[in-house]
Amino acid sequence: MKEAAAHEQFIRSFFHEYDCPILSDEDGRLVIQLTDKMDEALMNRPFYWHYIKKMGRQGDPMSLTLITNPDLSEEKGEYIHSGSPRLRQLYSFLQDNCRFTKLYEAVTITDQQSPLVPWLVTNLRISYFGKQKKDELLSIGLNLIHGTLVPSFMERIENYPLETTISDFTFPMTPLIRIPSGYQRIVSYVHNHIESQDRTWASQAMEALHEEKQLLSAFFKEENEEDRKLLEQELEALKGRFTPKVTVDVINGGLFYFSQTTTNQIII
Amino acid sequence: MEILLDEKYGEQLAKEAANPDAISSWNQFKLTYQAAKASSVPYFEGLVALSHLPHIDFLPHQKEAAEEIIHQMQGRAILADEVGLGKTIEAGLVLKEYLIRGMVNKVLILTPASLVNQWVTELHEKFYIQAYAPRKNPAWKDADIMVTSIDMAKKDPHYSEILSIPYDLIIIDEAHKLKNPATKNYQFVKALQKKYCLLLTATPIQNRITDIFNLVSILKPGYLGDLSSFKKEYGKKMGNLDGNLHLKKLISKVMIRNRRQDTGLADTKRMVKTEWIEFSEEEQQVYEKLETIKGTHPSFTYLTLAKELCSSREACYLSSKQMYDKLGDPENTGPLHDLISGVEQLPHHAKAKRMVEIIQQSDEKFIVFTEYRASQYYLQWYLQQHGISSVPFRGGFKRSKKDWMKQLFRDHAQVMIATEAAGEGINLQFCRNMINYDLPWNPMRLEQRIGRIHRFGQEKNVQIYNFAIKNTIEEHILNLLYDKISLFENAIGELDHILEDLDIKDLGHEIEAIYSESSSYGEAKIKLNNLASVISSHSEAERRSSS
Repeated sequence: MKEAAAHEQFIRSFFHEYDCPILSDEDGRLVIQLTDKMDEALMNRPFYWHYIKKMGRQGDPMSLTLITNPDLSEEKGEYIHSGSPRLRQLYSFLQDNCRFTKLYEAVTITDQQSPLVPWLVTNLRISYFGKQKKDELLSIGLNLIHGTLVPSFMERIENYPLETTISDFTFPMTPLIRIPSGYQRIVSYVHNHIESQDRTWASQAMEALHEEKQLLSAFFKEENEEDRKLLEQELEALKGRFTPKVTVDVINGGLFYFSQTTTNQIII
Repeated sequence: MEILLDEKYGEQLAKEAANPDAISSWNQFKLTYQAAKASSVPYFEGLVALSHLPHIDFLPHQKEAAEEIIHQMQGRAILADEVGLGKTIEAGLVLKEYLIRGMVNKVLILTPASLVNQWVTELHEKFYIQAYAPRKNPAWKDADIMVTSIDMAKKDPHYSEILSIPYDLIIIDEAHKLKNPATKNYQFVKALQKKYCLLLTATPIQNRITDIFNLVSILKPGYLGDLSSFKKEYGKKMGNLDGNLHLKKLISKVMIRNRRQDTGLADTKRMVKTEWIEFSEEEQQVYEKLETIKGTHPSFTYLTLAKELCSSREACYLSSKQMYDKLGDPENTGPLHDLISGVEQLPHHAKAKRMVEIIQQSDEKFIVFTEYRASQYYLQWYLQQHGISSVPFRGGFKRSKKDWMKQLFRDHAQVMIATEAAGEGINLQFCRNMINYDLPWNPMRLEQRIGRIHRFGQEKNVQIYNFAIKNTIEEHILNLLYDKISLFENAIGELDHILEDLDIKDLGHEIEAIYSESSSYGEAKIKLNNLASVISSHSEAERRSSS
């Protein structure tokens, strides 16, 4: 199962990242010891933690048994699959807690001082609402020295080692483009991107809206107060269902510093 | 076209980049991106929910229904599958899909009060959807997904609060109850603010063709024109198929109706056995005594008492005693008095004995349906005398009591004894035996009963026993209605179709009327025969024209 393996990998890295030891890991069955902090974030027992803190006592964080192997899904523990509540909880935990970063490429330089080039990275989710809805993810990097814009940025930098602290013998260059105006450049790139997409979905939605509106006005002929109210309400609902629109949400973003060599590799 | 975009993020990032607490590690940053990818739906088409619910084996017709509702009908539809094909599952799947895609947040589910808990449980256990049933002071605005009864919702102060909320999705279960636009319920539902809307019913056209007009008007006002022109075109003669074809086509764009025969769900069979029972001599004598009151009392009285006597002496005793007390009979000589004293001396009821025999031969679970409360008490007592455990079930029970009884039946008792009103909504597919201790006048109600156990999730063949006492009114009902119309061999749901075509509103009433309006037995028999042959010839014609 490809999907199960992906979930398993995700869970391992997640809890590793948040310092929760994995007590056992066999056959798609993981037992994880939570820390106080993660128990508070995930286990939904605010009264317990409130009480513990008030009494000044040592909390007893729980352990989690997560099962990714579908053959074991009947066993004790939480079965993890694409829609499982726990997985969604971890997703939204990340979404809430990891919106910003500032990272430096880890380089080993022994003698002279080398500069690191600043990049603004923004990951976005574009949602297209027509009769139906779909999402598109964009990852954009903007070089804050000379303004080069690179799409699919995350895919390009995935494997570079990055740290929250700067390596010895390196120094960050001061951006020539300020972050807010860099972000504005990304915004206009996103606008252009949306404008250049196939618009069939939007015109189909407009068509449907038009048709439904006609039906409605044929139905509510009589001009009494109640009918007018209902008509208005129905029209409002129609607009909500069929008016094409696009929303853009920022997933996360940050200031990234890469060595000159890496910068050159990314741009190519 | 409108594009909504977070304009402020640049400023925020500039500020937070200097705040070490807000900084996430490289791995956390990557995981967040990975999570966003996993929770995005990159295409308009298809059902994402299926991969989110790997533990449910959706049947093909259920997947198709959900897909059609979302993609062809744009989320406004009548879901009119026959009983037991999983309308709730389909509605749950639609809801899940909308939630995953982020198209729906605020949801209101209206069901009969007895089904509220079942909906909440099913959404939670099957679909991982957290829904709430309102308690005393419901927070309509706060809870995203609420399940409640129309009766509660339409009461103030809930009424005005609910109407002020713009719902993304409204689901109405047992929607056939909304067929009358003059009722408060209908107007309430019509006034709700809704983007998407599902109406669930096994009988979209219960009595007349305008029922469907009224349902569609909730979903898509104007779709079938206005009422007067609709009536003009379709209201009168239903036999004309050419006229109907157009309407059928129109309706198929807003309604999904799967029939058992099209779904391949006929894997588990229903075996129907008629149990002919003979009255003991004493019982037969009392039954004949009953005939004598025909002359002195309205025929309705006779009908009632005869049916009751066929059920239990308790049922018959109770109402004849009531009638007697009301009439007054100082000399104690009237036929009712004779009847009562006869009933008092009867031994155990022939049907009850047969019931115990059948149950004793098996260690499986049984559900027994009776028409009368008095018989229900009696049967429970009688079973207990034979060491058989049973639980009662009535429409009048509170929600929690119903759940509890169902659980007791599943985990402990061998028998559930239910009265009619229990027929709707409760699912007992863990039981495969049903005894129809009394047969209802209206065969449609029998269908509802059988649907409780012969439904999605039933893994074995279903055994139905229909009890009827020879040489009584029950024999006539059974012969004429159930055998001639051969309801059980036909696909279920066909009958409602036929009745609607024949413009028969309520078969039960029709039959009762025939009985009480006929002056003799022979006359009633002839009239019933006529009715039965009209129905069965119509059903044959229907079958021929559809094949």
